[in-house]
Amino acid sequence: MEDTAERIVNRAINLGCQDAVADVAVNRSYQIRFAQNQVVISNRWRETTASAFIVYKKRVVASDIKDLTKLEAQVENLVKIAKASQENPDYAGIAKGPFKYDRLVVDKKIVDLTDGSDHVQAAVGAALEEGANECAGSFWKYDEEHFLRTSNGVNGYDRRSSLYLSIRALMGLESSGHGVACATKLSQFDPAKAGHKAGRIAALAKNPVTGRAGTFDIVFDPLIFGSLIDQAGGRAGAYSVLAGLSPYAKKIGKKVASEAVTITDDGSAESIGRRRFDSEGVPTKRNTIIQKGILKTYLHNTSTAKKFKTKTTANAGLIAPDAHALFCKPGDWTKDEIFEECKDGLWLTNTWYTRYQSYVTGDFSTIPRDGIFRIKKGEVVGVWKDLRLTDNLINVWKSVVGLSKNVDQVQWWGEVGVPTFAPYALARKIGITKSAE
Amino acid sequence: MADLDLVDFAVDYAREKGASYAEARYEHQIEENFILKNSVLDALYFGEDNGIGVRVLAKGGLGFAATNSMTRADVKAIVDDAVKIAKAAHRKDPIVFPPEAPVVTTWSVPQVKKLSDVPVEEKIEEILHIDRELTDLKIKMPARFFQQGNKQIDKYFVNSEGSRIKSFSPRVRLYYFLTVMANGNVEQTYQNYGWSGGWEALNELEMRRRVIDEAKSMQNSVEHGKKSPEGKMDLVVGPQVSGIASHESCGHPTEADRVLGREASQAGKSFITPASIGQRVGSPIVTVCDDPTIPHGIAYYAYDDEGVKSRRRYLYKEGIINEFLQNRETAAILGTRSNGSARATTYNVEAIVRMANTFVEPKDWGFDEMVEGVKSGVYMKSFMEWNIDDRRYNGKYVGREAYRIENGEITTPVRKTVIELTTPTFWGAVDAVGKDLEIFHAGFCGKSDPGQALDAALGGPTMRLRNVTLR
Repeated sequence: MEDTAERIVNRAINLGCQDAVADVAVNRSYQIRFAQNQVVISNRWRETTASAFIVYKKRVVASDIKDLTKLEAQVENLVKIAKASQENPDYAGIAKGPFKYDRLVVDKKIVDLTDGSDHVQAAVGAALEEGANECAGSFWKYDEEHFLRTSNGVNGYDRRSSLYLSIRALMGLESSGHGVACATKLSQFDPAKAGHKAGRIAALAKNPVTGRAGTFDIVFDPLIFGSLIDQAGGRAGAYSVLAGLSPYAKKIGKKVASEAVTITDDGSAESIGRRRFDSEGVPTKRNTIIQKGILKTYLHNTSTAKKFKTKTTANAGLIAPDAHALFCKPGDWTKDEIFEECKDGLWLTNTWYTRYQSYVTGDFSTIPRDGIFRIKKGEVVGVWKDLRLTDNLINVWKSVVGLSKNVDQVQWWGEVGVPTFAPYALARKIGITKSAE
Repeated sequence: MADLDLVDFAVDYAREKGASYAEARYEHQIEENFILKNSVLDALYFGEDNGIGVRVLAKGGLGFAATNSMTRADVKAIVDDAVKIAKAAHRKDPIVFPPEAPVVTTWSVPQVKKLSDVPVEEKIEEILHIDRELTDLKIKMPARFFQQGNKQIDKYFVNSEGSRIKSFSPRVRLYYFLTVMANGNVEQTYQNYGWSGGWEALNELEMRRRVIDEAKSMQNSVEHGKKSPEGKMDLVVGPQVSGIASHESCGHPTEADRVLGREASQAGKSFITPASIGQRVGSPIVTVCDDPTIPHGIAYYAYDDEGVKSRRRYLYKEGIINEFLQNRETAAILGTRSNGSARATTYNVEAIVRMANTFVEPKDWGFDEMVEGVKSGVYMKSFMEWNIDDRRYNGKYVGREAYRIENGEITTPVRKTVIELTTPTFWGAVDAVGKDLEIFHAGFCGKSDPGQALDAALGGPTMRLRNVTLR
């Protein structure tokens, strides 16, 4: 596969391209999906995809090549397309290699895993033990090798292997809980813990009643707080800022969250999003996006960095920069203290469908799903349903007053796209709405 | 195109290996996307997807495996994978598929102007032209983003019951995201239009006019828009709003896999259960259909990805929950037959229950007639923010382009009209349905794991809702 990447780059340069990048990914992932407490389908992939990025006289073309038997012809076609395209005056090149990368960290036990059914059973069994009667979810073994070459001297190899399990437990249609397990080492993978959490929330969420609208103090569980961190990280991408898809435009150095909040992106740290390099081959590193509430940087590739007169943050994607793995710095509160400080509020455990009325202002709403609990003086005193969090992204972040010492690694379908390390959080006076009668 | 004999080979070999049912789907998709941000062509994406997915039933379990290497050895390897993992399911209730007659056919979508014949330069020029017309308006637009996408999808489907279906489906999309500012106000919009067919799409959809009209309406809104009235009143919604409501609060809750809990951990469940068929959910004037056979609807298909012939499905009929969207797996559980709703985004994912072109069936009301009947209310032509819970019961739509209606006449623009209603409240309030059906708003409908963002059309006519709460 090293040859394949090299052939793409060489062919593009020989045809007159100024820059070329090829990332050949070999995917051997495996998945089990389950519902109604049993397996519904298992999936396995044997795929090799060459992602190519070529630039001819500042004309940028990106591609995923699947038919590797006609590599030369495919690259020739891409160059032909590039020649017919338009110049991108904002294009500022790709990073200059070669680079040295951190030691490769792969758990061979994950690579060798061929059957995940025990993990599914562990999660489902744990949820049922807590009182749930229906479980659904997915178990994933991710295994991808990456062979990266660039015309600027990059020669990188990476293997990204991890385990992931997502389980939703239900006790009837309106009582549910969700848990996830993420690990890069088999020994640290704990699907039963995820199952217990999902089952426990489902059991606690029995017989919900329609809640009321108002302004409440909110205890955010890590899964929903992960969604808010994901929003903060995603909106901090320089491309989002330039496209009008961010409330963070012109806010570098400004307060965008409370002092309790520090968020970093770090592709080099231990997480299921770990990678040795970005799409230009730049070694991944830690970048502080928000420090004690102040916006410090956007996430950049070489071109967006030049536009903002700064350096790449090693977050290049094929076209736009992306976060790799987001970390919210833990606070100094215990989980119990977070709840105790919530005198009159709600505990939200999960959410989905986060949508904006204006990305520029950050006005948005999101729909809590799974257990929604009424909290008074730190205790659960009721179970609610049918609510919506309707507020402003920056306001929500400015309202955070406390974060727990412990964080969970979370990622979830659609809502927490980037692996995220999230604590329990307490935020004051957050807007809650509900459907009109 | 690859050696299609391998597709037949995959099915035969799966049967040899012990599969009680096997299907193989080869796909070759040419995809191009032109990405224009603030008048600069950031990048052109050109992809050529190519590969085969095999799904088998063995010992009551389902297994799926895929590869992009079209060699006999690799196809054999994925069949071995699929059979092995299917057998490992150890289900208490075996999965079965109801019988379907074999189909041997070829279908394709005609193109007036073939996508493959249109030079890259011409496609780029069309987007640049729209962008130039926008900038000529001299409206303060700090961000403009366009993505014009074209797909040409060849498929060959084979199953162990004797079906052999070849198809060709070209599709065109235009997505835009605009930001307009004035007087300290900001207005944003995104729109997504889609078409099954050739490059004639942009003319047929009148994209130049639509984008310009929208930019002007945004300027009008930020400069002259007033606070939207609150309280109980009448609401007239445009095709875009009735389209999203059709999709979110009718199409999704009637997906049988969601009803049965197969999507519970991802796209969620449904407030509808198998026992809900026959129950009232809306007023008698409301009929919501899903129809893959609508010519040029972006989700047009003649046969689904399980080889079942497509047809119109009446999901809500005269206000009554009437029919679910079914594939073969869900149909077996619910004791019925598939209605041709199985689709997959690419060769490397299983086909699951999906909507196609979903819309409110038009009636005979004229727009003016509906407005004339409103003493005090709002006309919400389009929306920006929207969401709905995972049971598809509590929906919210916030107006993008909206106007006050006073004494039967449309008066001033109003900003951020909010409707936050339950599904039965929304559909139950409809008392008039227009004849102005539009069905070319296109969505990327998200579902399944791995996620499948699939082409879907959301449409409808103008509708009038009586006495609903606006915020």
